Amino acid sequence: MISWFHIPPAQRPLFSLFVPALLVLALCCFCSLLFGAGGLSLQASFQTLLGNGSADDQFTVFHLRANRTLVGLFVGLTLGIAGALMQAVARNPLAEPGLLGVSAGSSFAVAITLVLGASTATLTVGIAQLGALIGCICVLSVARMQGQHNDPIRLVLAGAALSSLLLAVTSLLLLFDQRAADEIRFWVTGSVAGRDTNTLFSLLPSMLIAGLCILYAAKPLASLALGERVAIGLGHKPQRIRAVVIVAVALLVGGATAIAGPVAFIGLVVPFAARALVGPDIRRTLWLCLPLGPIIVIAADVVSRLVAQPAEMPLGVLTAIIGAPVLLLIVRSRRMPTL
Amino acid sequence: MLLNRPSIKKVLLCACLSASVSAFASEHSVTTKYGEVKVNDDVKRIVTLSEDALDSAIALGVKPLGAIATRGGDSVAEYIQERTSGVNMVGTSRQNNLEAIAAQRPDLILASAYLPQDQYNILSKIAPTVVPISPGMVSDSWISVAKVYAQALNKSDQMDEILSDIKDRENALKEVITNRLSKNERSATLARWMPQGPIVMSSQIFSTDVLAATGFIINDAGVIKEGRPHSSPLSLENLTKVDSAWLFLATLNSEGKDALEAAKTSPSFSRLNVVKEDKVIAVNGQLWTSAAGPLAAHAILDDIQTVFDQKIK
Repeated sequence: MISWFHIPPAQRPLFSLFVPALLVLALCCFCSLLFGAGGLSLQASFQTLLGNGSADDQFTVFHLRANRTLVGLFVGLTLGIAGALMQAVARNPLAEPGLLGVSAGSSFAVAITLVLGASTATLTVGIAQLGALIGCICVLSVARMQGQHNDPIRLVLAGAALSSLLLAVTSLLLLFDQRAADEIRFWVTGSVAGRDTNTLFSLLPSMLIAGLCILYAAKPLASLALGERVAIGLGHKPQRIRAVVIVAVALLVGGATAIAGPVAFIGLVVPFAARALVGPDIRRTLWLCLPLGPIIVIAADVVSRLVAQPAEMPLGVLTAIIGAPVLLLIVRSRRMPTL
Repeated sequence: MLLNRPSIKKVLLCACLSASVSAFASEHSVTTKYGEVKVNDDVKRIVTLSEDALDSAIALGVKPLGAIATRGGDSVAEYIQERTSGVNMVGTSRQNNLEAIAAQRPDLILASAYLPQDQYNILSKIAPTVVPISPGMVSDSWISVAKVYAQALNKSDQMDEILSDIKDRENALKEVITNRLSKNERSATLARWMPQGPIVMSSQIFSTDVLAATGFIINDAGVIKEGRPHSSPLSLENLTKVDSAWLFLATLNSEGKDALEAAKTSPSFSRLNVVKEDKVIAVNGQLWTSAAGPLAAHAILDDIQTVFDQKIK
């Protein structure tokens, strides 16, 4: 076990990291059922888990906390995977769903709906997902318009520009409609609390499609990591791979945003940690992203309940606190592709 | 050493002072947050820069030329709309439009008690600006603020009458409500519903003052930081804390019924006793969480009267 640290990440056996990660995830889920911002003590929570709680306690543990754990699982899973795909496609460790205008597209769609008179409480899931898709399609069309050099950086820059534009227009909309601003304030920070788990079931079909896209694209993506020409030489079509991956990312991020609002930095931190553990090969990285994403989201959520009782800190704030240093670390440690 | 030479400034100041005293013999002085302000007894062109100033002015029969929009809206609050036709919007609760204010050529500006000094410095160059000294987030602070606005408009006696009418109406309601309901049945919480959890309003704000004056006992769940008008969105795990005998649910738009229906889709909300007993009252947040003043007090008393007629009688 200790020998991990002497083996280069790319040569470590995957299961020797995957299994411990699953155990850590189980521990996180357990903590997520035990801790909360309510008046329920740790001991009472534990007793409730054993089946000796009052109706209120049972509701708190088996409904409120169990649901947010589920949502956290889903959000961590989707955003971690989406981030890994994004980075593999852009060949840039900073490519993040948020950066490519996907989350911004979601927020924009939600803002428009709110301004048109819907209220957050009656917001439908499809809108956020549609917004994410439109954001992705915009980026995709920019990717198609790439210059002769096929420079992956262009994609990221285009995404960053699109994000800024969408966020600016969103702010503008909210400036005109203060009511929507008040309602959206709680939506745009992202949270896994009080979300409707029925939404999870309605998201299953689109998640299935995303999964198929990933199965199709994982191998070609790995060869794309060796360069455009190598991938073409191996018989892959880089443009098509990109398109398929971006559709998958749109579905994943749209789903996550629809259910929890935008949660920052998960798509950056999770693949970064995964690569540090098992090396850069996307096929290995994706496997490790599966447990790592939910670990980070659920752990952050548990902390968010404990720091601002009787209220809760927005999850997005905590993930940003975790993610920002990682971002700086990547920028400082890696030689960024030059423009 | 130029001690004995009167400076130009001093000479000018004396000249100005004597000129102003002779020109406006009929003016009175109002004690404000930023010192004594001299106001003409017979002001004609008034701009109100807070919701309570507009309410007080209209209650006193003075229609301002300009006012600000209610929080979260683009015109004045619904409860006062029919009395403010023709009033120009010169800003929002977040930002005053100085050019629009100046364009009204006001001879009096009634501002919010929370107007910062730098804003005051600019506004007071346009016209005498009255910023009431507010006791802060304590019960009945709205009354002392309303009295300052009345003093500025030189209608203090009229305001006293209006306020005593409100007291009488509150006491009458209190009598019937306390006769009908025991102490436990009178606990009430004012909250705004959010999917992530409710925001509990303080027991010290205007609407909860009025609610308390009619015999309800305000339960703010002990979750509000000193001096804040409301809590952060509570964790859903703490929802039972707002499970009082009555829950007044405020929404920022007129679709209060929709908000109530939306809240009921949340299992955490629908399992509350107050919801099961159908004692959740959807109220307009423009009135209950943003407004203040005599007319707003009457509008809230109307709402309470309706609750009494429909649910208590």
